[in-house]
Amino acid sequence: MATRLQFENSCEVGVFSKLTNAYCLVAIGGSENFYSAFESELADVIPVVKTSISGTRIIGRLCAGNKNGLLVPHNTTDQELQHLRNSLPDQVVVQRIDEKLSALGNCIACNDHVALTHTDLDKETEEIITDVLGVEVFRQTIAGNILVGSYCAFSNRGGLVHPHTSVEDLDELSTLLQVPLVAGTINRGSEVIAAGMTVNDWTAFCGSDTTATELSVIESVFKLREAQPTAIVDEMRKSLIDSYV
Amino acid sequence: MRDAMQQSPGDEFKKLKKVDRQSESSEDEEFHGVIQADFAFFDPKPDDFHGVKTLLQSYLDDKQWDLSGFVDLILEQTTVGTVVKLEDDEDNGVFSIITALNLGRYKDHKCFTELKEFLLNICPEKDKTGKLRSLLGDKAQDVGLLVSQRVVNLPPELLPHLYDALFDEISWATEDEPTEELRNSFRFKFYVVVSKIYKLKNANKKRSSSTDEDDAFIYIKPEEEILHKLSMWSSLFPLQTQQVATHELKNYQLTGIVMAVKAEDISSFRQQLRTLINES
Repeated sequence: MATRLQFENSCEVGVFSKLTNAYCLVAIGGSENFYSAFESELADVIPVVKTSISGTRIIGRLCAGNKNGLLVPHNTTDQELQHLRNSLPDQVVVQRIDEKLSALGNCIACNDHVALTHTDLDKETEEIITDVLGVEVFRQTIAGNILVGSYCAFSNRGGLVHPHTSVEDLDELSTLLQVPLVAGTINRGSEVIAAGMTVNDWTAFCGSDTTATELSVIESVFKLREAQPTAIVDEMRKSLIDSYV
Repeated sequence: MRDAMQQSPGDEFKKLKKVDRQSESSEDEEFHGVIQADFAFFDPKPDDFHGVKTLLQSYLDDKQWDLSGFVDLILEQTTVGTVVKLEDDEDNGVFSIITALNLGRYKDHKCFTELKEFLLNICPEKDKTGKLRSLLGDKAQDVGLLVSQRVVNLPPELLPHLYDALFDEISWATEDEPTEELRNSFRFKFYVVVSKIYKLKNANKKRSSSTDEDDAFIYIKPEEEILHKLSMWSSLFPLQTQQVATHELKNYQLTGIVMAVKAEDISSFRQQLRTLINES
């Protein structure tokens, strides 16, 4: 199920939130509507955590994560780091990394198995991504753009990429990621996919300018119509129980 | 001049204002502040949606309202309204938008009911609220909402031409629109302007020292000073959004303003604007 919403008149939902299969981060906003929209969809399934990163609200673009971990930039404050460690499930490793490309959300796109990164990312960062997020890392560009984290959004079930991605690139990326991909837009023709939406295996949140066509493409490629959160979370529950024992 | 303006169909190009600035040899990295730009005025088009929406993001402060619907209405009204863009710009960046929307014509749209509600609730001065209510209510058919927003560094030389373009289009629309109703909808008697200005904090504290030369108001858009002086009435209202605190403006508070101007004062406005820009 895909939901349309706004953050204080901005349709750039993916800038102010970060959604994964194990948790959801939400920026601290003027009105409670944004947070409530996430809460009502996700409350019983995964924790929804309000936070800032480096004192800013653009958390979706500054951090990168999946069910295994969360990477935050070097300018994240100690309090923010502690708050995240306290609020997120124990099996999620929160790591602050020293990378000069500090907008990690713009440089890294990942699901629970694979990550695409900016071509100029440090070697150490790549290793940390592999360890903390438990993914295989590929340095890629998308339609000639190095900010892969901005121009695509993908989950374990499907992905949406920049509209000008060529068919060959689409095939290549699809093989790397092992999920079906489609080139499309968000928020009424915007190419910055990841800024306009945030997605996990069973739900997606899109900016309110997203047209019905765009929304139906999203629901179809991410396979949201049949998705049941309980099935997916139950699969993860086995690993959750392990950590408590 | 009018025939030259109405070019062949498909050619929305209306008026070119070349702003030549001396440009140094600009390499990729070092670049010392001057750009050569050819600005052109265009009719609003659906493609301009994102640019115009970005410009109007804070039109009603931080209120969550149907901004997208409002922008759609502006872009649909192609007969009156101008978008300033660069000549041959691939990115299609919008630098300025100006238009006048008849409050009566669009009163049933969600964005207009929300706008009306916002203005009536936010104005603290009760005597002005009555006048505002009348303009937004029973007089709505004669009132145009003057919407003008631009990027901060748009060359001021463009302003007289921009306003001339708008008011000329309004007068042409009163003759050229296909239906009587539409023609009448552009016979504005009043214009309402919603904007933001800087007000001197503690203006009541009279400082006796003659060195205190602070103006009571600082206008972000120069034409608003003229409009404010010509206005029938104006009302200030508080804003929720934080302003960026700069040293020069430390004594000033960003404040919302709504004002009403009589249509008959517009020719004086146009003249004063021309003088103001030519002098500076």
